[in-house]
Amino acid sequence: MSAVNVSSGVGGLIYVPRADVPVAELPALLLPAYGETVLMVGIVMAVVLVIGTPLGVLLHNAAPGGLFERPALHAVLGWIISVGRSLPFLILMASIVPFTRFITGTNIGIAAAVVPMSLAGIAFFTRIVENALRSVPPSIVRVARASGGSNLQIMRSAQFGEAVPAVLGGLTIQVIAMIEYSAIAGTIGAGGIGYVAVTYGYQRFDNTVMLATILILVATVAFVQVAGDRLVRWVTPQKRLQRA
Amino acid sequence: MISLLELTKTYGRGADSVTVLDRLNFEVGAGEIFAVTGPSGAGKSTLAQCINLLERPTSGSVVVNGEDLSSLPEKRLRAARRRIGTVFQSASLLSRRTASENIALPLEYLGVTPGEIQARVGELIDRVGLGPKAHSYPFQLSGGQAQRVGIARALALRPSILLADEATSGLDPDTTSSVVELLKQLRTDLDLTVVFITHEMDTVRQIADSVARLERGRIVETGALVDLLTDHGSPLGRALQPRRGFAAADDGATTWYVTYDSADVPGDWIQRVSADLAVPVHLLGASVETVHGINTGSATLGIASEDEGLVGHVLTRYGLIGTPDGRRESGAGGAPISPVRSGAVPALEGAA
Repeated sequence: MSAVNVSSGVGGLIYVPRADVPVAELPALLLPAYGETVLMVGIVMAVVLVIGTPLGVLLHNAAPGGLFERPALHAVLGWIISVGRSLPFLILMASIVPFTRFITGTNIGIAAAVVPMSLAGIAFFTRIVENALRSVPPSIVRVARASGGSNLQIMRSAQFGEAVPAVLGGLTIQVIAMIEYSAIAGTIGAGGIGYVAVTYGYQRFDNTVMLATILILVATVAFVQVAGDRLVRWVTPQKRLQRA
Repeated sequence: MISLLELTKTYGRGADSVTVLDRLNFEVGAGEIFAVTGPSGAGKSTLAQCINLLERPTSGSVVVNGEDLSSLPEKRLRAARRRIGTVFQSASLLSRRTASENIALPLEYLGVTPGEIQARVGELIDRVGLGPKAHSYPFQLSGGQAQRVGIARALALRPSILLADEATSGLDPDTTSSVVELLKQLRTDLDLTVVFITHEMDTVRQIADSVARLERGRIVETGALVDLLTDHGSPLGRALQPRRGFAAADDGATTWYVTYDSADVPGDWIQRVSADLAVPVHLLGASVETVHGINTGSATLGIASEDEGLVGHVLTRYGLIGTPDGRRESGAGGAPISPVRSGAVPALEGAA
C-alpha cells in the first residue's frame, strides 16, 4: 500500500512519498496515544464529577418544589448551562481559547483540551444529575423530611441515594461523550487517539491507522457501555437479585 | 396528645388566595384513634402536612403535649418533626435499602450509633411482625409488608403521635384489616395518639374511636364513632355506613329502610318486630356489624302491613328508626335489584 500524495506546504506544491504505517509499528504509535486519551478523559471526568454533581443537586433543589426553592438562582444557573450545552463542542473549544490560555498558559496539548472538555462535560453532567434526581418520587423526599432529615442528609440519602442507578447510567453516556470530545479536541493538537486519527488517518490518508483507531474507539466505547450497564445492575437491588 | 387550634392554611395572597383549611379545631388524647375523613380535595393531604409539620400553617397552631410546634423556627421544627411519626400511603420506601435499612433512616438522621440502631431496628421489625423479611428489599415485599416497614420507620424515634396519611389506601381489604389491627395493637401497647386520615369509610369503622368529616377545608361534623353510627340524624354516621342494593318487596308489602338508632338493639329484632306486627318481615338487604361491641348498621325490609304508624312505632321499640318505601334520608343509595318472584327467597347482599 503505497502511493504518492499531494500536499501543500510552505514551499508550494511538492510531492511527498507516502506510506502507511506498518502494522508492526502501530502499537508504538497507538498505545501512548491511547494512554493520553485515557488520561484526558480521566482528568475531565474527575473534574466533572466533583463540580457537576453538586451543581446538579443544587439545580434540582433550587427549582420550584425543591428543598430550598431559589427561582432566581435556578433560572440563572439553568440558563448558563443551557448556553454551554447549546454550543457544538468544536465551537465552544475555539471560542474559549483565551480563557484556556489564561488557565493553562497554552492552547495546545492535553492541558488545553481538558479545559473546554471539562466545561462542556460539567454542563452535560449537571443536566444528567438533575434529570436523575427528578425521577425520584417526591413522596420519598417527604418521607425523609418527616423522618427529621436535614437538607444535606435528604439530598445524600434520599435523593442521590435513590438516583444512583440513573446517575451511573448517565455517567456511562457521559464517559462515551467525553471520548468523542477528546477526539474532537485532537484537531487542536490535544494528543490522544483522536489526534492520531486526524493527523495520520485523515491528513495523511493512512487507512491502516484510521482503521486501527476506529477499532480501538469502538472497542473502548463498547467496554465502557458494558461496564456501565453492569454497574447500574449492581446498584439496583431488583436487577441484581433477580439475575440469579 | 395533639390539639389543633384554629388551624388555617391559605395558599397564595390577596384575591387569588385559596383557603384550604379553615379554622380547624380538634384534640386527640393519648391512646385515642381519631379518623379524619372527607372527599377528595377536602384538604386532607394539606391537613396531614400541617400535622407532621412539613407545611407551616398560615395561622393557628399544632400543639403536641402542651407545646406549640407549628411556630418553631426552621431548625427546631426539624427536631419537632421527630416527635410525630408519619405512615405514608404506599410506604414510600427507599428502593435501594433493605427493610431494616429503611427503618433505620430516622435513626441515622438523628445520629444514633450503629450499635443502637441495630438494636432498635431489631426491636421494631419484630414488633411489626417482619423478622424474616428484615434483609429484603422493597421490591421483594408485598404491599402489606411494605406498609409494616413504613409503620416501623414511623415509630423508630418513639413518637407520641402517629399520623397515618392514607396509610391503608391502595391495599386490599384483608391487608387493610391486618394493618388496622397492627395499628390498634401499637396504639394500646405504646399509648400512641393516632390521627388517621383516609377517604375509606370501611377502614374508619374498623379503626376509629372518633371521627371528623372534612369538607371544603372545614370540619362539618365530629363525634365518637359509635354515637355517629347509632344516630340516624347524623349525615356522617350515614356516610360511614355501606349502602347495599336490595331486592324488591313482595306485592302488597311496603319496603322499609331501617337503621340502628341506639346502642342496645336486640339481636333478634327482626323476629320480634314480625311477632309484634303479626305479619312476616322479609329481609331484602342489610349491612350490620359490631363496632366497639355495639350493633350498628341498616337493613331494608319488606313488611306486609299498611299501618305505617304502627310499624314505625314497633321499630322504635327496639331502638331502630324506619322510613317506608325504602326511602333514604340522605340522598342516593342502593337501587332495588331485579324483582324477586313471590315466594322466592329474596336475594341478599351483605351479611346480616
